[in-house]
Amino acid sequence: MKKVATPEYDIKDKLKHHVSALSTAAKEVVMPLNVTTQYPRERRKMPDCFRGYILFDPERCISCFQCSFVCPANAIWMKEAPSGRYYPTLDYGKCIFCHFCVDTCPGGALKQTKIHDVAYKDMDEMFTLTEEMIEPPEIIREDEGYVDYVIDKEDLSLKRTKGIDKLIVDVAPSQGVPLVSLCVEPENCLGCGICEGMCESGAVSSLKEDGMVRMKIDVDKCTGCGLCVKECPMQILRLFRE
Amino acid sequence: MIDINALISTIMNNQVNIPLLQPLLDPLLGMPVIGYIIALILWKPFFVLILIPGFATMGIMLLILPWIERKMVGRMQWRVGPREISPHTRGIIQLLADSLRFLFQEVIIHKDAHKLYFLQFPFLYFIPVLLPLLFINAGTAGNPLVPIQTDYALQIMVALISLMPVFILGVGWASNNRFSFIGTVREAFLYFAYEIPFIVVILAMIVLYGTSNTVGVIDKQSGVWWGIIQNPLAALTFFIATVMATARLPFEIPEADQEVSFGPFVEYSGIAFGLAYVMGYEKMYVLSAIMTMLFLGGGSGPVIPGLGDLSYGIWFVIKTLIVLVVMANLRGVYPRYRLDQGLRIGWGAMLILALIALGWSIVVMGVRL
Repeated sequence: MKKVATPEYDIKDKLKHHVSALSTAAKEVVMPLNVTTQYPRERRKMPDCFRGYILFDPERCISCFQCSFVCPANAIWMKEAPSGRYYPTLDYGKCIFCHFCVDTCPGGALKQTKIHDVAYKDMDEMFTLTEEMIEPPEIIREDEGYVDYVIDKEDLSLKRTKGIDKLIVDVAPSQGVPLVSLCVEPENCLGCGICEGMCESGAVSSLKEDGMVRMKIDVDKCTGCGLCVKECPMQILRLFRE
Repeated sequence: MIDINALISTIMNNQVNIPLLQPLLDPLLGMPVIGYIIALILWKPFFVLILIPGFATMGIMLLILPWIERKMVGRMQWRVGPREISPHTRGIIQLLADSLRFLFQEVIIHKDAHKLYFLQFPFLYFIPVLLPLLFINAGTAGNPLVPIQTDYALQIMVALISLMPVFILGVGWASNNRFSFIGTVREAFLYFAYEIPFIVVILAMIVLYGTSNTVGVIDKQSGVWWGIIQNPLAALTFFIATVMATARLPFEIPEADQEVSFGPFVEYSGIAFGLAYVMGYEKMYVLSAIMTMLFLGGGSGPVIPGLGDLSYGIWFVIKTLIVLVVMANLRGVYPRYRLDQGLRIGWGAMLILALIALGWSIVVMGVRL
């Protein structure tokens, strides 16, 4: 059995370590490195892919519920709009900022920003409705510059730049992962036709075969939105990568 | 009946000589009442006790030292330190702001505390802290700047410094709190661990200098033959004992914030906490002043032209400040020792070092004789 013991130092090692600690301290007093960002007066420059507040573009939304499905914290709840379509609402009290919803959105309707300092008065206010997600929240900007953390060969250092950092990033909308809906157990199909009614791109068609209704999915037309997968009562449809 | 004229002539014959300020002081000295007050302030013992390096210097140090400590330790740890109050002066009035806050805060005395002692001890602590200043010699060889000359100065100082932990023990006992009890017991343990090497080191220096009069101590350190060169081991032991006595890191064992949340002072709030907070710094100042006097040649240094006696005082304060800053900055370098490790250092390495230092002194004395 191997025993773990404290390392043994003789007096020479001890003196060496004391001198090294004290000289490091003296060096830092004379030439200190500084990693403090004076936050309200300056901001840290975050990368464009920073996972912050999420904006929503209703024009791109196809109401596919993918964001709601993928959310690991169950923070996204789809709400019916007057037009009859479903749009996401986001509860920031639950959100863990994993941005799976942004990544999974097939139409690129959800968009990340670099806003990370939003304050709410109470828990109810953290439940953000669809219409509140379209515009970025009001931010009082006190900063006159931004700070970049530069990691060079030896250590970390700060690079300060005058000017206001743009918090809303211009990124190309996510193309999403190309998916197609496929029926995994056609023998269990009820032939209810709900998927045909749900499909917005007309990829699902029904045909009669031996006196039974069979559903057929056209892979070329399918956008992989997953509406049929959600609505299928037998849960025999799955989304697959192309 | 006190002879007023004899008293005045005693005062006038022992004035601090500052050539640069003399043209300013001469007309003031001629005035009827102000003249006597100025003469009293410039009376050497009074000047040393009240201004440099006495109470006024100590007060300024108490205001500045925590700021220096926080700022320098902040630099060591890549932080900024106090800044938000008066950013243009880098937050130098931080402690003033803190003490104002302490002043207007409610002082809570909980039900189980011994009320009388609880309030008394932080104030009584000033007695053993301030009295050693009476014997500190800030002058150089041949030019003593000392309030009271006595052949037993070092012994009285050691006695008064040994009295300080008694007040901390009293504070912890009067608080009647489990954390303060633990802190008090730790303080009591450490007290014996550092006090014996401390006294042995003072004894070594008394043997080396052949006198315990602070005037004689400074006279024996003429030129570059400072105490630290004559007996470096004693200086090292004295420094470690000082760090232990003031409960600074790495020997912050009685006050350990993370374990017993400021130990004996856990129940204090408001201005009482403010007093408890400066207690450590007062002790640091007094012990650093003694270290400057015993080991760093007192006020010796290149004479600043035109300042006369004040020049010695300034050198003394600069040396004391250096000792204080080194002591305070240990906070940024070392983690805290456990109680048993602290005791082992006190009863082991420090006691051995102190005894070697005593032997060294005896050998040096023997060679000299």
